[in-house]
Amino acid sequence: MGYPPSGVQKSSVISEHCGHSVDSPVKLMVESSSSGGRGAEEGRPPPHIADVIDSKENTVQGMFSHTGTTQGEKGQLHSSQDHEVPESCDKVQHQTSNQPCGAKLPNGHAVKSSHPAGSYLNSEDNCVIANGELLADSRGGALDAVASAPPPQDASEDQTTSSEDPKDARNSVFNNTRSCSEGLSLRTFSSSTFLNTDSAPLSPDDDETFSSSDRPDDPSFTDVSLKPRNTYESSRRQSAPDNIPGVLSVAVADLTLSQRKHGISEIFSRNLFSRKQREAQSAPGWKLFGKVPLRESPPKDSKTIQQEGNPGNLTSVSTPNLLSSGEYEAKVSKSGQRKNLEFEPLSTTALILEDRPANLPAKSEEEAQRHRQEYDEMVAEAKKRELKEAQKKKKQMKERFKQEESIVNAMVVWNNEILPNWESMRGTRRVRDLWWQGLPPNVRGKVWSLAIGNEMNITSDLYEIFLSRAKERWKSFRETGSEMESDADSADRESSLDLIKLDISRTFPPLFIFQKGGPYHDLLHSVLGAYTCYRPDVGYVQGMSFIAAVLILNLEEAEAFIAFTNLLNKPCQMAFFRVDHELMLKYFAAFEVFFEENLPRLFNHFKSSNLTPDLYLIDWIFTLYTKSLPLDVACRVWDVFCRDGEEFLFRTGLGILRLYEEVLLQMDFIHIAQFLTRLPEDTPSERLFSCIANTQMISGNRKWTQVFNALLKDKEMEKSSSPTVKNS
Amino acid sequence: MDTLWQYQFRIILLGDSTVGKSSLLKRFTDGVYSDVADPTVGVDFYARSLDIEPGVKIKLQLWDTAGQERFRSITTSYYRNSVGGLLVFDLTNRKTFDHVREWHREVREHILPHHMVYILIGHKSDLSRDRKVTRDEAEQLAAELGIRYVETSAKCNSNVERAFELLTRDIYELMKMGEISTRDGWDGVKSGLTAKVLYPAEEEADREKSCNC
Repeated sequence: MGYPPSGVQKSSVISEHCGHSVDSPVKLMVESSSSGGRGAEEGRPPPHIADVIDSKENTVQGMFSHTGTTQGEKGQLHSSQDHEVPESCDKVQHQTSNQPCGAKLPNGHAVKSSHPAGSYLNSEDNCVIANGELLADSRGGALDAVASAPPPQDASEDQTTSSEDPKDARNSVFNNTRSCSEGLSLRTFSSSTFLNTDSAPLSPDDDETFSSSDRPDDPSFTDVSLKPRNTYESSRRQSAPDNIPGVLSVAVADLTLSQRKHGISEIFSRNLFSRKQREAQSAPGWKLFGKVPLRESPPKDSKTIQQEGNPGNLTSVSTPNLLSSGEYEAKVSKSGQRKNLEFEPLSTTALILEDRPANLPAKSEEEAQRHRQEYDEMVAEAKKRELKEAQKKKKQMKERFKQEESIVNAMVVWNNEILPNWESMRGTRRVRDLWWQGLPPNVRGKVWSLAIGNEMNITSDLYEIFLSRAKERWKSFRETGSEMESDADSADRESSLDLIKLDISRTFPPLFIFQKGGPYHDLLHSVLGAYTCYRPDVGYVQGMSFIAAVLILNLEEAEAFIAFTNLLNKPCQMAFFRVDHELMLKYFAAFEVFFEENLPRLFNHFKSSNLTPDLYLIDWIFTLYTKSLPLDVACRVWDVFCRDGEEFLFRTGLGILRLYEEVLLQMDFIHIAQFLTRLPEDTPSERLFSCIANTQMISGNRKWTQVFNALLKDKEMEKSSSPTVKNS
Repeated sequence: MDTLWQYQFRIILLGDSTVGKSSLLKRFTDGVYSDVADPTVGVDFYARSLDIEPGVKIKLQLWDTAGQERFRSITTSYYRNSVGGLLVFDLTNRKTFDHVREWHREVREHILPHHMVYILIGHKSDLSRDRKVTRDEAEQLAAELGIRYVETSAKCNSNVERAFELLTRDIYELMKMGEISTRDGWDGVKSGLTAKVLYPAEEEADREKSCNC
């Protein structure tokens, strides 16, 4: 990428943009502001000839305001046509100091800024927000437009017009810088896209923070992420594919996936890369927070690229004609960008784009024209996609932030107002509403404890007693060996204890915390073991480990045990864990009453497919949804289960069915069965809860309890045509 | 939905908890194996097709049951609708082998007067050092019960396909001999062909949307 103009230390710039620590963000900012953005007028070599920037491009997008740093960094952008890499940038840099590179959109189009077509940015270049949103730039506007309107396209139009503008010398410079910026922005773009999803919640202030309004001409920077490092990393990783116009989105997606897996390693590689970057390229202005300057030069359209042909200042590229601009940038850099070479471009856009090598018959004009068009279309498509993605991410971030804020507020209310006055407040509308919205994590355990209660009058002393009994037993089993017992009771006990051991390591395996050696392994073992001593009549049943595990995650050991025993003592849980088949069938029948009431279409579909409630409800009820729903969603279900009782468990079941109703209606028996026992991992909390809220547990004026009790009394039920009975 | 299957067999996996029923199924249907996986609570479902003969595709509906004894009363309700059963024990856990007889008896009793086709599976054959049941013993038991015996390892993907194939083939052969057939109200075997009287063209189309299982 372009290195910052001489005024800015490359390294600092690079580090900023590339996710390295910024050495002197302030400096960069100063730089940028000073560069003013009115283009050349500011005493910088006028990088842009005709500013074809859309005013829209200059709109700073909310979160992705750009900081002034971009300018400095914009430095050298190599023109893609030249396929120059950083070196060109360097060159450019020399030629045109303080020419920030315009950020190039990942899809290869440079964000149009006040550069002449093909010219690249000067300090005023706008940067594309890494995540695709273009930052409004000092160039007079928020880059919002960029995000919404594909600047590249505009750029290309302008490009043509503006190209007349600059002087030839500058042209070459711009060309150089443009490619540079293209490369950089491409990378940045994709990385930011990725990063924005992953990075920490941005404060809503982000939007305002970096708006650079002082330099209308400044390229808008994209706020790649709050963590410059990440930005850089992702950009590095995405560099090769990113450089390919048109395939960017694909590359981004791929890289995004792989990037997600790279936690710490990212940081290391990042630094590595940045060093290279520093050497190799002129970084477009990297903002403190990873903003990437947009390439000022308009995206090169196919025609321009072809025309630009072999740049004189191409260095190491041997076959420039065969590479797309992006690829080119990758290859070109002698000194730097070596890394880019690792990521050989995936697309063959360039083949369409560039003139054929001399030894092949030349393309006919109309073929060339067609290819150019196709290229343009592809680039435009990709750009649109990027923008959409960026917008989506921004929205997600905003929501996340809002959510977190509300959690914090709720915490305060719970701790200060509600918990101290629990008995009197627990039934109030206000508390019930707050409760529905989800208990803040740090009051959750407490509220669960209070709501579950302690009818069994367990004390922590009692827990200790049962625990030591369990430990004794384990010890004696270990000593005598588990194969010796033949008497039924001890066999049962044994198998219980063995089973506990085995099940513990199978509890939430992805979390690793319950496996042997994990932090909660012994704890889980203790609670379950103590329970089997306390209730030998129930013993251990598979599924319990999940319930105990969730309690342990939220409560202290003894408290978890108390909650566990009381929870399991509730009628529904007792019926299921003792596998009281008859009683279970009653629960299923009651469930079906409300199922038919709320989702008649699906109900009939299930009926005709012979899909009985036991096939999916058992797993759900036994484990209180901890196995089927993501942990955080399951905890919210528990929240309201603590508030409303067992009825809510079945209401949740209906909520799930409602949520996936459309999908389920299309499936046959085995697929429904598979689906319901393996719900999608990303079941969305809010949508699920709104489905649950839309489920009324009323059937013909009767509520759950009435229906259930009626069924209990109804001896006829046994002989009814309930499918659950049929299957037994 | 597959449109070209001839038959669908419902097959159930039986055996003590942690012998590896779920792993066998995951390996057979998804081709994956994991050392740790959630315990089955209630019943899990898997599906896969086998081409038993050229032109004969059998859809297998596989029911994975919770092994804990506690769940027996629930899972027995599933036996009746299954045509085949894999009786699985853990080669490194003697107890699970000893319980096979029980499993067999329980299932048989529950589905009388009908029958199920069984196969005995000695699983976790990869853990040869920890083996507690000899091949001879197992083969003896199998002979006693009148069923086949196969040693498998989901981890090493050894004999997994073979086990299911043998069972499927056995069921199919019995079908060809007329000993097993589709029955109304029984989900053990379903036919992919409808028995409607149709014009040939319609018949073709109808076959496409035959069963809704």
